[in-house]
Amino acid sequence: MTTVGAAGILLGKELRLEFRSRELLSATIIFALVVVVLFSFAFDPTAAESRRYGPGLLWIAFLFAGSLMLNPSFSREQTNETLDALRMAPISPFAILLGKMLANFIFMSVAELVLVPVFAVLYNISIVGIVWRLVLVLSLGTTGLVVTGTVFSAVSAQARMRELLLPLLLLPILTPLLIAAVESTASLFQEQPSLDRTRVAFLAGFDIVFLTASWLLCDYLLED
Amino acid sequence: MKNFEFLFTAWMVVWAIFFGYEITVARRLTQVREEIERLRQQLNGR
Amino acid sequence: MKGRLAYTGITAALVFFAGYAALFLAPDEATMHAVQRIFYFHVGSWNAMFCALFVVFCANVAYLLTRKQKYDALGVSGVEVAVMCCTIGLVTGPLWAKPVWGIYWTWDARLTSTFILWLLYIAYLLLRGLLEDPEKKASLSAIFGIFAFLDVPMVYLSNRLWRTQHPQPVILGGAGSGMAPMIAKVLVLCIVAMFFLMVLVFIDRYRLEQLRNECEELRFEIESRSAQVQSLPPSAAQRMSS
Repeated sequence: MTTVGAAGILLGKELRLEFRSRELLSATIIFALVVVVLFSFAFDPTAAESRRYGPGLLWIAFLFAGSLMLNPSFSREQTNETLDALRMAPISPFAILLGKMLANFIFMSVAELVLVPVFAVLYNISIVGIVWRLVLVLSLGTTGLVVTGTVFSAVSAQARMRELLLPLLLLPILTPLLIAAVESTASLFQEQPSLDRTRVAFLAGFDIVFLTASWLLCDYLLED
Repeated sequence: MKNFEFLFTAWMVVWAIFFGYEITVARRLTQVREEIERLRQQLNGR
Repeated sequence: MKGRLAYTGITAALVFFAGYAALFLAPDEATMHAVQRIFYFHVGSWNAMFCALFVVFCANVAYLLTRKQKYDALGVSGVEVAVMCCTIGLVTGPLWAKPVWGIYWTWDARLTSTFILWLLYIAYLLLRGLLEDPEKKASLSAIFGIFAFLDVPMVYLSNRLWRTQHPQPVILGGAGSGMAPMIAKVLVLCIVAMFFLMVLVFIDRYRLEQLRNECEELRFEIESRSAQVQSLPPSAAQRMSS
């Protein structure tokens, strides 16, 4: 079986598992919403301030919600030792990782699909003219988050205090992604929206570097 | 020298950090060496 | 043993001479005066940190490829030393900034990037602390170390490109002014001296890690022997212990 094929099957399993209860998705969406609302209480922004700080807030909400959502990715496998079963299957370790990455990407994207319109309404930011460019930036940013997050979920699942450890490992690594994504989103939220090619290239580069690193290191990551 | 206090503080801080770390390493080294000696004797005593 | 003594001697001499040069031989700077001399060991500590981190990266890769414990020892020693150097840099920076800019901290590109670096490698040490199985500890922290090292250039690049709203540190009169030859010489001397210092601590820490591993092996040996004795019939056990 090819890696992609195996990953596809595992993706199906992850999706079925999640959509049975939908608890992870709902918790993620609500948490991100809480962060977004809390911001307005903490800062009470004017329209200009919303435009200025909005992108940062949005991405912080995604990063925090993401760090919480990515934890169960591998810690769920620990309860019934299902990871051993996966390892014994005749598939490459990268297939396991890729399947989980794709699942996490879909979950994060669903959360973002709910959150971005809500955010736009709450902070009076029009996203009508910039939808596809915003989708591009969101996809690239989410890919980076999900790739590194899934790898670190595998790392922290084997340690103590994993709920605290995952954000601790993940957030410093993601700062370049955060900077580039926030800058791109900010430039899109301007009166005259624009999207800088360098920033998009940087985001894509970030994703490629860490995806390649995950592929090279997956054997060591998932061994017994 | 103008602004000397900051230079002096920085100088002291650098040495404090460096020696602080070096001393903790040296202390742990002595402890481990004693432990190894004790374990070796225990092993040979059997 | 003799080698280490000789090395310590050389390092001490270098550091003494570098310190003297930085404090007395280097020319006084026009606007900042004495406090500018922090620059000599500030830059040196960051250079030492990057050298240590490069060694850590190589050690991490080497560990994953060979599974030899010495590379894991090298990795953790290097990270601790690098964090120490980074702390020195992050503390001397504000002490230099306060009299010069009037504020202790600013979120300019370089400072922000280095702060993130500091957090990144402290996370490495925390990760090791929270993993119990020694092989897992070694392989998982090696993986994290590789990711962290790959992240470092991206941290610096992203900050350099997109976070330039804050005052950039002006080293000795601005970008175009260059460096007087005496200052450059003293700077190189201080960089070398701090590098030697860093290597000294690195070697000691590495030795500590090696000895700890030896200690563990001895304990294991003792435990396995006592287990062997316990599984023998009483007469044989008596013969063994007498």
